[in-house]
Amino acid sequence: MPAPNKHCIFYRVYTIKSRRQCMTENNTARYTARFIESARRVGAEVLQVDSLQDAVTYIKDKAKGTALVPETSLVRRHHLRALLSEAGVDVFTEKFRNAGQMPGTGVTFCNFCLADSGTVVLESTDEEIRLATTLPELHFILVDPATILEDNLAAVEPMTTFHQGHAPKFIAYITGPSRTADIERVLTIGCHGPREVHILLVNGISSDLFEN
Amino acid sequence: MATDETYKKSVEDAIANPKLSKALHLFGDAYLIARENAFKGLDFEAMRTELAAMKDDVRIRRKELLAEFIKNAEAAGSKVFIARDTKEANDYVIKLAKEKGAKLIAKSKSMVSEEAHLNKALEAQGIRASETDLGEWIIQLAGQRPSHMVMPAIHMFKEEVAELFTKESGTRLSPEIKTLVDHARQRLRKEYFNADIGLTGANFLIADTGGIGLVTNEGNARLCATLPKVHVVFAGIHKLVRNMEDAIKITRLLPRNATGQLLTSYITWIRGAVPVSGEQKEQHIILIDGGREALYESQVCQNALRCIQCGACANVCPVYQTVGGHVFGSIYISAIGIILTAFYEGLDKAKEITRACIGCRSCVAVCPAKIDLEEIILHLRNEVTKEYGMGVVKNIAFKAVMKNRTLFHSMVRAASKLQRPVTQKKSGGSERRIIRHLPLHFMEKDFTEWRDLPSIAPKSFRDQFNTILQHVTKPLYRVGFFVGCGADFVYPEVGVSLIKVLNALDVEVVFPKGQNCCGIPALYAGDTETGVDLAKQSVEAFTEANVDYILAICPTCTMAVKRDFVDRLADHPQWSAKAMALSSKTMDAAAFLENILGASEKLRAMDLVKDSGSTKTVTYHDSCHLKRGSNVWKEPRALLMASGHQIKEMKNSDRCCGFGGTYSFLSHPQISRQITKDKVATIEDTGVKIVATDCPGCMIMLKGAVGKADETIRCAHTMELLAESLNENY
Repeated sequence: MPAPNKHCIFYRVYTIKSRRQCMTENNTARYTARFIESARRVGAEVLQVDSLQDAVTYIKDKAKGTALVPETSLVRRHHLRALLSEAGVDVFTEKFRNAGQMPGTGVTFCNFCLADSGTVVLESTDEEIRLATTLPELHFILVDPATILEDNLAAVEPMTTFHQGHAPKFIAYITGPSRTADIERVLTIGCHGPREVHILLVNGISSDLFEN
Repeated sequence: MATDETYKKSVEDAIANPKLSKALHLFGDAYLIARENAFKGLDFEAMRTELAAMKDDVRIRRKELLAEFIKNAEAAGSKVFIARDTKEANDYVIKLAKEKGAKLIAKSKSMVSEEAHLNKALEAQGIRASETDLGEWIIQLAGQRPSHMVMPAIHMFKEEVAELFTKESGTRLSPEIKTLVDHARQRLRKEYFNADIGLTGANFLIADTGGIGLVTNEGNARLCATLPKVHVVFAGIHKLVRNMEDAIKITRLLPRNATGQLLTSYITWIRGAVPVSGEQKEQHIILIDGGREALYESQVCQNALRCIQCGACANVCPVYQTVGGHVFGSIYISAIGIILTAFYEGLDKAKEITRACIGCRSCVAVCPAKIDLEEIILHLRNEVTKEYGMGVVKNIAFKAVMKNRTLFHSMVRAASKLQRPVTQKKSGGSERRIIRHLPLHFMEKDFTEWRDLPSIAPKSFRDQFNTILQHVTKPLYRVGFFVGCGADFVYPEVGVSLIKVLNALDVEVVFPKGQNCCGIPALYAGDTETGVDLAKQSVEAFTEANVDYILAICPTCTMAVKRDFVDRLADHPQWSAKAMALSSKTMDAAAFLENILGASEKLRAMDLVKDSGSTKTVTYHDSCHLKRGSNVWKEPRALLMASGHQIKEMKNSDRCCGFGGTYSFLSHPQISRQITKDKVATIEDTGVKIVATDCPGCMIMLKGAVGKADETIRCAHTMELLAESLNENY
C-alpha cells in the first residue's frame, strides 16, 4: 500500500487505523509480558513455544498417567488429540467419568486470559471440559497471546456476550494451581484442583475469544 | 446474668491461651502487607465508593432485581425457591434429598448454611453432609463453628488437625501441613463422586444473567457443582448484583481485600442446568431472607448488607486478634458479625459482643463496601442498653453525674483533692457511695497491676484558664478551645501548651466555661439521652462564644463536635442548625495548626533547631479517631519535624492503644490490657524514649502502661512537645 498523501482526505483514516494496529500489537506484547509475570507469581509454569508441535513435546515430557483432552472446536481444528497420541501421550478415549477419581493429566485450550492477574478463562459448559480441568493432577493450557486481555474489567464485555440468551453456561476463571491456607494460614498448593498448571503460549491458535 | 458469666469466662479463657492470639497477630501483620501490595496502582477509595453505590442501588431496587434474577435463572433451567427463613431453606433441601433418595451431600463453603445449621438439620433426617472446603471440613470434624469468615479453622493448629484426621481415617497422620492437605484431597475426592447432591453457596446472584458466581481457592466448589447430578445453591438474598460488570468489579475488591490475592485460584460462573453425564443437571437455587429484609429496612443498619464477606474487618481488629472469633462473634464474627448476629440471631445473642468493640475504626478504614461499622455497632449498643440497661455504674456516672455539669465538675475537683477518681465521698450523696462500690463487671483484682492510673490534676484546666496571660497583640484568629475531660481534669498542661503554641503563632484562645463533656463515653455505653443533653450544653457555650474556629486536642472530642453533635441533635431543629454551624469550623489542633495556619513553615522559619545536636527523636502513635476519624496523621508529624524532632516510626503506628474510654476501665479491661501490651512492645522496639500522640485517652493508656514497662520512656502530647521547643528557644 502506498504511503498516504498528507493532503488526501483519507489521510486521517489511514493513520488512525495504522495507529490502532500498532497499539494492538504493542498491547499484545505488553499484556503477554504482564501475563507471564502474573501467572508465574501465582505458581503457574508459563512457557512461550514456537509451535503447537513444541507444546505437544513439552506436554509429552511432563504429562502423568492418562490425559483427558476434551473434544472442543480448537482441539478438532488443530488435531490436538492426534498430535498428543502420536507424541506418545496416553489420550483417554472414553467418557471422562470413567477415567477414575484422580486422573493424571488434562489438556485444554482456553478462551482468553487476563494479564494483570495471570488468569485463564475457559468456557466449560461441556462436562468433559469441566472434568478435564478439575480432576487431574496436572493441567496444561494452550494459549494464543492474541487473546490476552489487560484485566478483568476488559473481560466484562466478552463475559456479558457469553451470557446472552438463556442457554446454561459454566465459565471458569483459573488463576494458578489449586491452593489453600486453611491450616495455620500456610499456603499449600494442590488442595482439590490441579496441583500444577502449565500454560503454553503458542501464536496463531485462534484469536477468537469465544472459541476454545 | 448467666450469659454474662459465660461470656466473661470465654474472654478469660481466650486471654489465657496466647497461642491463638499470637497466630492472629502474625496473620494480621502479614495481611496488611499482602493487601497493600494487592492494591498497588489501584484507587481503593474510588473502588469502594463505587461498590457502595452499586450495593445501595441493589438495595433500593432489590424486588425488581430479584424478580429479574429468578426469571433469567428459570429460563436457563434452574429451579428457584425463596426461603423466608433458614428453616424453610433447610426443609427444602431435606425434601429434595428425600425425593432423590440422597444419602450424601457434598458441600462447599456456605456461610448461610452455617447460619441455618443445615448440617445438623440434615443429620437429624439421616442425610450426611460432607464439608469439602478444607477449613470447613476440619471444623466439621471438630464439631465447632467457623472462627473467621474466609479462614474458618484459623484458630486451630496442625497438631489438632492431625489428631482429627487420624481419628476420622483410622490411620496415623503426622502433623505436617502438606501431608494433611494431601490426605484431605484423597479423602474428599471420594465424597464428590459418591454424593447425590452437590451444595454450594454463591458470592453473586447476577440479575441480568440468572447465573451465580463462586469465588474459591481450593477448587472444591467446582467439583461440588460438577460431579453430583443435582446442584443446590444456598445463598442469602443480599448476594444480588445487577449484572456481570458489577460481579466482576466485586472480584477486583474481594480477593485483594480478603487475602491480598489479585484473584483467587478459581472464579466459577454457573448459569442454569448445565449438562451432566449426557443429561441436564438439576439446579435448585434457594434464596434465603433470614432477617436480611429486616436489615435492609433498618435505616441505621442497612449498609451492613453491602458486605461482600471478605473478613477484613476481623483481620485488622485488635479485639479479634486478642480473643479470636469464637469469643468475638457468633456465626459471623468481628465487626460485621456483631451486626449480622443482632439481625439474624436476635439482639439478645449480640448483647455482649456489641460492647466488645473498642471503637478504633480500623474496620471502617479497611471495609471494601465503605460500611461505617462502628457507627452501626454504636447504634446497636444503644438498642441493647434500651433493652437490657447499661449497668449501675454507667447509669449513675452518666445520667446522674455527667449531665449535671456543676455536679460533675465539683465531683472531679473533690476527687482531685483526695487523689482517687470519683470514688470518694464528699458531700455524702448516695450516688457516690454506690460508685465507690463499683460492681465492676470485669474489674477485679488486677486493675492497676499492669498500668498506673492517672491521678486527677490538682487544678483542672477550666480552673486555670483565667490565670493564663495571653500576649497576642494582633490576633490572626480567635479560636474557642474545646478542652475535653482528659485535658481538663487529667492533663491540663496539654491545654496550657496549646495556648502557648497558638499565642506564639498569633492566635488568641477563648475558653467558653459552659462547655461540658463531649458525651462520647455516654454514647459508647449506649446512653443517647445523656449524649443529647451534653451536646446541647456545649453547642450553647460555643455558639455564644462566637469564635473563628473551635479546636480540640482530643480527636474523639473533635469527632463528637464535628460529626456527632449534628446527628445527635437532628431531632431538634434549632439545635441542629447551631451544631451544623459549629461543625464546619471544628477541627483538631494539629490540623488547624498545619492546614489553616501553615504552622510547620512558620516554625521552621523560627529556626527552632539551633544545631543538629538539639534534635530529639520521637516515635509517633496515631490515635484511632485522629487518623481514621479525621484523617489527620501527616499534620502532627509535620509539626513535630518542623519543631526540631526526628521521627522514628514504630510498627503499626495506627493500631489501637487499647484505651477505648470506658472500655478499658469498665467493660473489657482484660482485652484492653492485651492490646496495650502490643503497643508498648512496638514502642520499646523503636528504642526511642519519647512517644508522641495527639489524644489524652491514648496518653492515659500509654503513660500508664509504658511507665510500668520502662520508666525512661516518656509519653507526651504533640502540643506539649511543640511548646517545649518554643520554650527552649524563646
